[in-house]
Amino acid sequence: MMTPDERLVMSLRSALPKQDSPQEPSRDLWPALLARTRERPSAPWFDWALAGGVLLLLALFPATLPVLLYCL
Amino acid sequence: MKTHPYLRAFLGGLFVPVLVMPVLLTVFLVARVGLHVAIPIEQALIFPMAVVPSLFGLWNMFWLSSHERTRLSIGLHGALLPLVLMPAGATTGFAFGVLKLAATEAVWFGAAHVPYAVIAPMYLAAIGGYYLVWKYVIGFLDRELGIA
Repeated sequence: MMTPDERLVMSLRSALPKQDSPQEPSRDLWPALLARTRERPSAPWFDWALAGGVLLLLALFPATLPVLLYCL
Repeated sequence: MKTHPYLRAFLGGLFVPVLVMPVLLTVFLVARVGLHVAIPIEQALIFPMAVVPSLFGLWNMFWLSSHERTRLSIGLHGALLPLVLMPAGATTGFAFGVLKLAATEAVWFGAAHVPYAVIAPMYLAAIGGYYLVWKYVIGFLDRELGIA
């Protein structure tokens, strides 16, 4: 006589596809994951363009520099 | 470090002005003492020394209290600060005689002539610069202090 738990296990086993051997990745993924968590995201192109634009504006209008230093 | 997040936000906000202030003071002193430019240094330093650092700290506290509601990134939040600082600085400068308004230009410190047409690009530069400083410097500090 099978218990309800054993019936549940049997049903689950019959519903899932059989695996002859455990599926393992072809290589160790841990170092890649570790490297990915440690890498710093680089600044997007928009921020570089913005920094260039700000420097260009300051170069074009140098008289504003002391004013910006005062106000900001 | 789970306690006093607003104190940490205030101190994180103070970081940039505290670094810039000695540079500003040096520039003013070199211009006044070394180059003999007639800058009213006492009046000129009131706003950047008394108001700007505190406002940075308070603005960072404001971001901490509001960003969950507004979903505004710290860069965009910081980019809004010149909209408060520049009118406040101009008003203070006008009140203390640092800023004089002429027909076509504003004269700062009796030496820097800024045509009115240049004010818009100056504003854009300030907003862009603030976006970057808040995103990369103060954002980094907030992450390190555990509040972002």
